[in-house]
Amino acid sequence: MTTETHVKDIKPGLKNLNVIFIVLETGRVTKTKDGHEVRTCKVADKTGSISISVWDEVGGLIQTGDIIRLTKGYASVFKGCLTLYTGRGGELLKIGEFCMVYSEVPNFSEPNPEYSNMDQMKNKTVRGNDTTNGNGVNSQGSGSSTTPLQGGRAGSGVGSRANNPGGTTVNGKETRRSTKR
Amino acid sequence: MSIQCVGIVTSLTNGLSEREANDAITANVCKGPQQHEEVCLGLFALLLTEPPQAQRCYRDLTLVNRDGMNVILIKINQILMEKFLKLQDVCRTQLVWLVRELVKSGVIGADGVLMTLMKQIAGGDITSKNLWLAENVLDILLDQREWVLKSGMLIAMSVYTYLRLIVDHGTPALLVLRQKEVDLCIGLLREKFMECFIIGRDLVRLLQIVARIPEMELLWKDLLHNPQALSPQFTGLLQLLTARTSRKFLACRLTPDMETKLLFMTSRVRFGQQKRYQDWFQRQYLSTAESQSLRCDLIRYICGVVHPSNEVLSSDILPRWAIIGWLLTTCTSNVAASNAKLALFYDWLFFSPEKDSIMNIEPAILVMHHSMKPHPAITATLLDFMCRIIPHFFPPLEGQVRQGVFNSLTFIMEKRVLAHLAPLFDNPKLDRELRSMLRERFAEFCSSPSPPTEGRDEGESVSLEMDNHVLLDKEDGCYDNTEAAFSDDEEEVNNKGNKKREFRFHPIKEAVIEEPADITPYVDQLDDTMKEKVLQLQKGSDTEAHCEVMQEIVDLVLEEDFDSEQMSTLASCLAELFKGHFRGDVLPDDITEESLEESVCKPVCLVFRNLCQMQEDNSGFSVLLEMLAELYQKQPKIGYHLLYYLRASKAAMGKMSLYESFAQATALGDLHTCLMMDMKACQEDDIRLLCYLTPSIYTEFPDETLRSGELLNMIVAVIDSTQLQELMCHVMIGNLVMFRKDSVLNILIQSLEWETFEQYSAWQLFLAHSIPLETIIPILQHLKYKEHPEALSCLLLQLRREKPSGEMVKMVLSRPCHPEDQFTTSILRHWAAKHDDVLGEHIKALLIKNNNMPRKRQSLRSSSSKLAQLTLEQILEHMDNLRLNLSNTKNSFFTQTPILQALQHVQASCDEAHKMSYYDCEYEEPSSKPPKSRRKAPASSPRSRKGAVTPVSNEEESASSSASEEEDSKPKAPKRKRKGSSAVASDSD
Repeated sequence: MTTETHVKDIKPGLKNLNVIFIVLETGRVTKTKDGHEVRTCKVADKTGSISISVWDEVGGLIQTGDIIRLTKGYASVFKGCLTLYTGRGGELLKIGEFCMVYSEVPNFSEPNPEYSNMDQMKNKTVRGNDTTNGNGVNSQGSGSSTTPLQGGRAGSGVGSRANNPGGTTVNGKETRRSTKR
Repeated sequence: MSIQCVGIVTSLTNGLSEREANDAITANVCKGPQQHEEVCLGLFALLLTEPPQAQRCYRDLTLVNRDGMNVILIKINQILMEKFLKLQDVCRTQLVWLVRELVKSGVIGADGVLMTLMKQIAGGDITSKNLWLAENVLDILLDQREWVLKSGMLIAMSVYTYLRLIVDHGTPALLVLRQKEVDLCIGLLREKFMECFIIGRDLVRLLQIVARIPEMELLWKDLLHNPQALSPQFTGLLQLLTARTSRKFLACRLTPDMETKLLFMTSRVRFGQQKRYQDWFQRQYLSTAESQSLRCDLIRYICGVVHPSNEVLSSDILPRWAIIGWLLTTCTSNVAASNAKLALFYDWLFFSPEKDSIMNIEPAILVMHHSMKPHPAITATLLDFMCRIIPHFFPPLEGQVRQGVFNSLTFIMEKRVLAHLAPLFDNPKLDRELRSMLRERFAEFCSSPSPPTEGRDEGESVSLEMDNHVLLDKEDGCYDNTEAAFSDDEEEVNNKGNKKREFRFHPIKEAVIEEPADITPYVDQLDDTMKEKVLQLQKGSDTEAHCEVMQEIVDLVLEEDFDSEQMSTLASCLAELFKGHFRGDVLPDDITEESLEESVCKPVCLVFRNLCQMQEDNSGFSVLLEMLAELYQKQPKIGYHLLYYLRASKAAMGKMSLYESFAQATALGDLHTCLMMDMKACQEDDIRLLCYLTPSIYTEFPDETLRSGELLNMIVAVIDSTQLQELMCHVMIGNLVMFRKDSVLNILIQSLEWETFEQYSAWQLFLAHSIPLETIIPILQHLKYKEHPEALSCLLLQLRREKPSGEMVKMVLSRPCHPEDQFTTSILRHWAAKHDDVLGEHIKALLIKNNNMPRKRQSLRSSSSKLAQLTLEQILEHMDNLRLNLSNTKNSFFTQTPILQALQHVQASCDEAHKMSYYDCEYEEPSSKPPKSRRKAPASSPRSRKGAVTPVSNEEESASSSASEEEDSKPKAPKRKRKGSSAVASDSD
């Protein structure tokens, strides 16, 4: 069983993060050039809050008050702010709602001047690299057949269960993936 | 689990004929309990998910199960309680079908399952799913009437549930359903009234709400005028109204999900953090017009069912009254609001201290008390309701209702929920009319001194006195209604009260010395040796002799053959005999070693001394604790006397922790409650002693004290400025720590409700500690202009001594802009003069951040209503105020590079509206009008201060690179803007 990272321990560059948090705010939708919908949500656990960038239809299923487990997430700096993303093969799984104690402060996604420089450097180095691009998904999303492989991110599709490479969750339980309302 | 079981069942039966399949299953079930359970659950799961197979599965289940369906009943209950909301429609339909079948077969326990199913019908919800469930359960109840009549609890629960649901089903489209519901309720009420009687007074509440329905009207006639027609045992409405409603019924109208969420809020969420949870709850359950009716259920549930432990009550967990306040303030319809108020006061109307619990009436008084400052209108409307409900609830029972409300108020003071009611009833925030109505109805509660209540024994006499007052006042009140006359009345009442008190005290005081008869009822119950000693105590008047006798008594108690049954009687005698010791001041006027030692040489202290000298594992130790606990029941003051002894006596050096053992031995049973009660008692009797005890209490019991706003308030409410100064010195010397980082913020937030001097004192004490100001900065979000001048001025003076941090600047800028509120401008101006570079950088960061996320905002520890939100406009407005303020000075704050960069950045991306309002004032004005101070200064000051040119150009680069990021979304605007900005930049060069 993988252990969960607390929000306070999330640092830029960390990968393979498992985090349990409660959603405090869901941001507006923005569209990327290639048509992906991106939402920035503010989420928190008892140690603090952070922004998470959620891509495509999953974003529409998330409601404030949802308690969600992120698997295989990663953190990086976007526009000077520490941000959490769903990584390759990772997913967001609603495991409950409401009943979680959180602390909104400190907000680890506050713009941090230390990160600004890193951000710039990172953007330079990463642009060519296809694992991450500060958006989390874009590079993989281009291949049409691989999209459903991003599993949790693609919602409750059956395909995602079968192919979910994360494999940490048991399928078929009522508690599973019920972000749909 | 269930899926595996389905697999087992299908593999057993696959390809077999019905009979063979049946045999196979039966054979498997016989193998053992595990196989039995697997098969049952497998059939159950199939039944739920495969409607065509349901009949066959149910038949198989009835055939093979060997436990009276117990496994299935447990599973159904579990699904209903934990997962009902998540069930697919097919499963829901099947589950209801199964329950109906179980009822039809008369399975034992089916009534329980049916009641759990009933609980899933949400109140205030007329969505089709919920209506479907209501109707289907109703059909089961109607179809299986004979079976229903066998279970008293089911009858009562069905009546309670459907009387409540009728309220929601008033629209024309639902009248058919409502008629069926009315028929069910009327039928059960008329045929089985005494079964319904067990519901208690809330039955009347529900019947009142639906009284207009013709059948209900008829029932009401019988209730009022012909109770015997309903049942020979039923004597009338009063009988029902004086019966407390069992929690079962109050809880049954909340779905498990609602219950879970409310309980979470009242047990885990910290006060100040509830906003989002409330929003989420409201979104899910209280957002529609028809959901208004749910508020009553929630309020009744909170008053009657949610009774937090003392531990929770004394912690910083969201208190019940705050939730009630929220439910009241968010009420949108008048009918719902008045029903909600009635629900809140329902247990007051016929309150009897013997039968009812303080917890049921506490939320109403506390919500009134705590709303006085932030929402005086709420307090006013509740007080008004409390006055008017007495004559209006039910005129023939007016006397009883008045008595109920009086009993509640008396009990509230007796239990020290509030020490005095005068601040509540006679508060200048209430309008005159209301205050005079309160004075008229509750004269004895309007005068400040609370009736002396020493222990419970006297409770009765006190309430009898009350009765007299009621009568007296009513007569007086009839004569004259002018205010002047009333204030006279009040004085008179006061005098009467005082006289009475003196009159009552005298005989008791004399009894100790001169009237030995006073302990006769007890002394004869003691055995002879003990009796002799006690009588000796009674006779002599010499302290030393008393002490000797007392030691002998203690020795007797410690002897092995001491009959512990006598303990209580002995305690009564001692409490009576030593009454004199507990009157008057404990602490000597001059505090010297000798005077302190002398003050702890009273006979009572002998028990303490013996306790201190004993090892904790000695069996005598617990005997002495028991003795003290008994004494404590008769004489609560002994608690703080023990604290005093442990602090003052040399013999007790380092033994303060004995108090914890004592607290645990008392009926209160826990340290926190006991300590708070004792400090409260001490506060009322002897303020000097309170101050004397404070340092050791805080040092010795940090966990109990440091998080207690209650304790701090106790102290600051009574100390004078000398005592305050003394305490501050204790803090600075290091004798006393009253605040800790993790709890100080919460305590200061609580203090916002206190009186002015109390608040100032709290701040002074806080400032005497060296806790970084950062810790409490979030309090700014709670501070409202005009409402919290004390905290604002203290904070202002402190902020001025600090170098601004990012968080501070953000918080300061988050204050809503108000033309008269100069707080933000004052502090910004000060910082602009002293720390212009730091302030500039912080403002730059905030401007850029807020510019990047136009509608995102920070809301931290929110309190109740609206929260300060940091928006771009707000920052700019504050900046503009600052600019105006600085315009006649030589300050060059606005010409610093970071500020200019940030403003350019904002300018580059803000919409036209913003530009209109701020662009002008930030840019055009300085460049078009004569530059004056602001223009000149930059050339020298920012550069020379920064020293080098490089960092500046770096910053420009980063600014322009962030601007280029903006280009993605707003390709057009920036170009033009950047020209403008570069013009400014070059200009400043």
